[in-house]
Amino acid sequence: MRDKIRDINSARNARDGAPQRMLTPRRLAAIVIGDIAGYSRLMELDEEGTHERVKGIRRDLVEPTIAEHHGRLVKTTGDGFFAIFDSPVEAVRCGIVIQQNMQGRNASLPRDQWIEFRIGVNLGDVIIEDDDIYGDGVNIASRLERIAEPGEVYISGGIYEQIKNKLVCGYESLGDRKVKNITDPIRVYRVLPDPAAFNKSRRRNNVLLLLASCVLLAVAGGALWYLLSQLYATMRHQALAQALLAAPNGPSLLAPLSRQPAPSPQPFRPAQSPAPVEPVTQGAALRTQPAPSTTSAAKQAALQPHPAPATPAPAAIREPEMIAVRGGSFTMGSNEDATEKPVHQVTLKPFAIGRYPVSVREWNECAAAKACAFVATGNDDSPVTNLSWSDAKQFVGWLAGATNKPYRLPTEAEWEFAARAGTQTRFWWGDHFQFGMANCRNCADVPATAQPVKVGSFKPNPFGLYDMGGGVDQWVEDCWHKTYHGAPSDGSAWIEGDCASHVIRSGSWKNDERYARTASRFYYDTNVQYPTHGLRVALSP
Amino acid sequence: MRKTGIVVLSVALASVTCAAHAQGKSAPKDAVLYFIWPRNGATIKGAFWCRFGLRNMGITHAGDDFQNSGHHHVLIDVTEPLDVKEPIPQDKSHLHFGAGQTEALIDLPPGKHTLQLVLGDAKHYPFDPPLVSDKITVTIR
Repeated sequence: MRDKIRDINSARNARDGAPQRMLTPRRLAAIVIGDIAGYSRLMELDEEGTHERVKGIRRDLVEPTIAEHHGRLVKTTGDGFFAIFDSPVEAVRCGIVIQQNMQGRNASLPRDQWIEFRIGVNLGDVIIEDDDIYGDGVNIASRLERIAEPGEVYISGGIYEQIKNKLVCGYESLGDRKVKNITDPIRVYRVLPDPAAFNKSRRRNNVLLLLASCVLLAVAGGALWYLLSQLYATMRHQALAQALLAAPNGPSLLAPLSRQPAPSPQPFRPAQSPAPVEPVTQGAALRTQPAPSTTSAAKQAALQPHPAPATPAPAAIREPEMIAVRGGSFTMGSNEDATEKPVHQVTLKPFAIGRYPVSVREWNECAAAKACAFVATGNDDSPVTNLSWSDAKQFVGWLAGATNKPYRLPTEAEWEFAARAGTQTRFWWGDHFQFGMANCRNCADVPATAQPVKVGSFKPNPFGLYDMGGGVDQWVEDCWHKTYHGAPSDGSAWIEGDCASHVIRSGSWKNDERYARTASRFYYDTNVQYPTHGLRVALSP
Repeated sequence: MRKTGIVVLSVALASVTCAAHAQGKSAPKDAVLYFIWPRNGATIKGAFWCRFGLRNMGITHAGDDFQNSGHHHVLIDVTEPLDVKEPIPQDKSHLHFGAGQTEALIDLPPGKHTLQLVLGDAKHYPFDPPLVSDKITVTIR
C-alpha cells in the first residue's frame, strides 16, 4: 500500500474495463496510516499468538475507534491499517485513542510482547476508488508513519495547522524532514498525549523546570528564612533566659535550633510531586536527623527500658503482636456474592497472624530503616493506609529480614479462617449485623475521618483478633481470581494467573457492613496505592 | 536524580509555605470523557469489554501527577452524587483503573444497569468540577 505512487493516467489505464470510473472523484481527506512496530519479530516470537492478538486488536480497537471518529477504514494489511477522515481533528483523536488503548493493553505484559503501533497522519488531496485510495498525500502519511517512534502519532504540518487550536494536547515540532520519493521536505510534529511521551518531553524540559524550581526555591527559602528568623529570635530569648538560670547545659542550646528545619519536610508527602519516590526517602532522611543531633536525648532514651519512638536504631524492632492459629479444616466462601462462590473446603497448616493490622508506628520503623518507600502520616496507633500490594510486600520483606523470622502476608484462606474464628455465620458474631461491632460506614459511633480509628478499638473475634472486618482493607498474598473455581484446598496462596491485581480482605471504614462480612473479598491493582488499603502480617511456624 | 531532587524539594517547600492542597484540580474545559463502547441503550449478552474514551487529556497511572492527565473509574448503578472533597470510593460499584487501563471486561447480573465514567487525579480525587461521562444504561440479557 505504501509504495504505491500511481499516476492518475496509469491508474485509469489499468481500469479500462470500468469506464464509469473515468471521472475518478478527488477530495481532501485526513489520512491515517498505522503499522505495528517490529511485527516480524513478534511473529517470530509467537506466530499464532501474535496473529490472534493483532486480529483481536483490529476487531476490538482499530475498527470501532475509526467508526467512532467518523472515519472510513480503507484497508488493513497484516500488520497495519489505512483510514481516511473528513476531519483532521477526528483523525488525530482516533490515532491518540488507539495509542492510549494500546498502552493499557501492553501495561500488563512483558516488554518483548508489546504490540505498538506507529501512526502517521497527513492531510492531502486523494483519489478515491472502491477498494483503495491513491495520491501523494497517502505516501506522505506512510512516510510519517515510518519515521514515528513506536507508540507515537506523527502528524504533518498541514494537519497541525488545522488542529493546533482545537485539540489540546502537546505538540513537539520535529522540524522539516526530507522523506523518500517526496520532493519537498515535510514539516513533522509529534503528538504528546500519553504519559510516556510526557515523560520524554519532561526530561527535555528539565532545564526549564530547574530554572523554575530555582525561582520557587528562592521564594520558599525567603519565606522559610523569615519564619526561622522569627523563631530564632524568640528562641534566643528563651535560650538566654535558660542559660542565665541553668549552668553548663550547652547542647540543649543548640538542639532546638538544629531541630528547626525538621517541620518543613514533614508535610512532604501530601504535596504532590512529579517523582513520587524521591521526596519520601528524602523526607525520611530529614526526619531522622533530629535524633542524632540531640545526642544527650538519644543516650537517655537508650538507657531507658522502654525504647522511645524516636530511636532510629534498627536493632530493636517492635515486632507485631502475633496470635498462633492451630490450623484445621473450614468451609471457605459464601453464596452471597458471585466472587465468593463456590463454597469449598480448605484445610490449613498452623500459622500465626497479627493481632492488629500494621500501625502507622510499625510502618514508620520500616520507613526509618529506608526499607519502606514512604513515611506514613497521621495517628501512630491507627492502621497504616495508602499501600499498594507491593508496598505491603516491602514491609513484610523488611520485617522478615530484620527479625530473621519468616514474616509474610497471610494467604487469602488463612485470612478468612482467622476472621471466621470457627464460625460459619456472615459475621463472626452471627448472621445479623450489630451496631458498634466493626469500623465500617455507619456501623458505629465513630466520626467519619480521613483515617480509620486506632487499631483494637472494637471487640476482638473468638481468636482474639481485632479488626478482621472493617477498619482497613488488608492485602493478602493471593492474586485475584473472580471466583474460587480452581482454588487450592490446602490454604496456600493462589498465585497462578493474572497477577495484575491482588486480593484485599476486610473492607474498610469507608465501606458499608456488607464488606465487613468474613467471606467478603475484592481486588485492586497490584502497584496502585489507595487511601483505605493496609495490611496485617502472618508468620510461618 | 539530583536535579529532580532539587525540583521536588523546591516544589515541596513552596507548597509548605503556600499551604497548597493537592486536590481540587480542574480539568481542561474541552476535555471529554465518554464510552466508546457500549452505547447508551445497548442490550448485551453476558460479560462485555467496556471501552473508555478520553479527549483532550491523557491517561496515566494513579500516583503519577502529570498535568492534564488522570485515570478512569467506572461507576455502576451509582446514584449518590460525587464528593469532590473525597477520593472516589473503592467498592463493587466504583471500579478503579489506576494502572492506566482504557478498557475492562465487565460482568454484570442480568437486568438494566447504569454506567458512568469518572476521571480521577493522581490521588483518586475527582477533578473539580468532576470530569464525568454521560450516564448510559445497558441491559444485560
